[in-house]
Amino acid sequence: MKRLLILMLLATLAFMFFGCKPKVDPVVEQPVVVAPEPEPEPEPVEVIPEVIPVEDADFVVVYFDLDKYNLVDAAKTALENNAQVLKDNPSVMVKIEGHCDERGTVEYNLSLGEKRAKAAMDYMIDLGVASSRLDMVSYGKERPIDNGHNEAAWSKNRRAAFIVISQ
Amino acid sequence: MKYKIVIELVVVIGLLSAISFAQNVGDYQGRLSDKSSFEPTKISVEETRYIGIDYITASDSVMMKNCGVILRRDLDFSPYFEIVLFDKFFLKHLELETMTISAWKWLGTKYLIKLETEFPRSNIRLRYRLFDVDTKREIKKGTFEAKKTEYRNAVHDMANEILKSLTGDNGIYRTKVVYAKKIDDTKELFIADYDGQNEFQLTDNKSINISPTFSPDGKYIYFTSYMDGDPNIYKLKLKNNTVELFAEYPGLNAAPSVAPDGSKIACVLSKDGNSEIYLLNKNGRIEKRLTESRAIESSPTWSPDGKTIAFSSDRTGAPQIYLMDADGKNMRRLTFNGSYNDSPNWSPKGDKITFVSRAGDFTICTVDTTGRNHQVLAIYGNNENPHYSPDGNHIIFSSTRLGPSEIYTMDLFGNSQRRLTVRGGMSNPAWAPFE
Repeated sequence: MKRLLILMLLATLAFMFFGCKPKVDPVVEQPVVVAPEPEPEPEPVEVIPEVIPVEDADFVVVYFDLDKYNLVDAAKTALENNAQVLKDNPSVMVKIEGHCDERGTVEYNLSLGEKRAKAAMDYMIDLGVASSRLDMVSYGKERPIDNGHNEAAWSKNRRAAFIVISQ
Repeated sequence: MKYKIVIELVVVIGLLSAISFAQNVGDYQGRLSDKSSFEPTKISVEETRYIGIDYITASDSVMMKNCGVILRRDLDFSPYFEIVLFDKFFLKHLELETMTISAWKWLGTKYLIKLETEFPRSNIRLRYRLFDVDTKREIKKGTFEAKKTEYRNAVHDMANEILKSLTGDNGIYRTKVVYAKKIDDTKELFIADYDGQNEFQLTDNKSINISPTFSPDGKYIYFTSYMDGDPNIYKLKLKNNTVELFAEYPGLNAAPSVAPDGSKIACVLSKDGNSEIYLLNKNGRIEKRLTESRAIESSPTWSPDGKTIAFSSDRTGAPQIYLMDADGKNMRRLTFNGSYNDSPNWSPKGDKITFVSRAGDFTICTVDTTGRNHQVLAIYGNNENPHYSPDGNHIIFSSTRLGPSEIYTMDLFGNSQRRLTVRGGMSNPAWAPFE
């Protein structure tokens, strides 16, 4: 944006110089190439502020029961909301992260986290979201959102979270 | 009050799992009921004597004392031995100035070790003499010399030699262990001596690095890392600490386990939408898919003869341990006790598999490969990731028994439980093969 303005400024300057001075300094040589362009007004720039970028927080976190990866009703409602966000913002792409609570083994939880991410992803596809806009990864029990060691913390950690990877 | 509750818990849990507990110095020691068939040999190490001619410096004097401490700890770690300590009151009772070999015999000692040291140049020279207390005869002696900075290695070498001469077994005192340490939101891999000393950081990629496992020649560590965003398997060369990508199939690339002959790597891939066990060749290319079910298959581990693979599967609703031939055929369930059994690791002796079992909290158990003889070895807090030492006489694992997650070791009976780390956030231990 800034660069474009500078380029244009240089172009206009060059144009002016061109008009009166037949001889060109080597320093100003580069802008000469740009000079033939007509003087366009940067119209499309003003459109950008009107689009509100989609944030991770626009997506509802999907929660799971202990050792389970099936979608309970609340999970389906959350995913329906998330599918709508993606439909309203057709260029947005997301990564679904599958997570587990701290109980259970590292490796089993990696697989379980992936089952959760996949269950969420499959339901999104059922709801009509193109699979090309969805990616997934399992973090197992490695990235808890709550470091507590009680049911309140565990239930928050058994989740599938949506992360925007491209607007 | 709290103390009382803990005591009561100990009693209840002890009764439930048919284990009785004895309090040892500092560490608690779990004694298995079937351990009565195995009586450890009593052995003693006298205080180190200085035999140099120069005046000894304060730091050398500390080092000299530590040699005895380390040797006692090493030998006591072995299930074969039980250290008998010098007893001042006993000495007084016998009206003796110093311990004599007869006095040690009174204390029940079978073998006695006398240590002598001197400090030539910037080295330490350690000499041991091993006595059979019954016959009062010297049966073995040896000398070890090392730089002062590496004096622990000299003591460990000595412990290996003493163990070998008395039992015929190779000791694990010079073997290494690897584990993951939580640093902020990341986990990096560290390597250390078997007793937790000389810790060295292996990875520094500011991501999650887990499930390390050694190649059978001890030269490489395979592990799962998120260093490139997704969980892939990487191979770390210990010689120069370089890392290369090993497997990056879509989805999970996890739980690597190298075949005993080093030719194949069993691991978990989810490229078909669900975790399955695969065999990869040395270049990371798929050689064979071993499992095919809609359930989670995970954590493969090889039998020492390379013919069988144990793994976990939740095909019955929760993880249980199964065995299959190394070509995926002849699948059979191994564990039936308890509702959640996972994270198997096959003993290098071949006869047992150690694993994690949920009984409220997570415990470390062993079971014979016949499926019989289910035993509980470690309780209190959550105990995870058991992994056998190369001699099959010890198990390393992580535990939250004191709150923070730390690395512990114990012998194959669950005795000599020791904490290796102190800073918390430790997980995923694995034991290196013999050097």
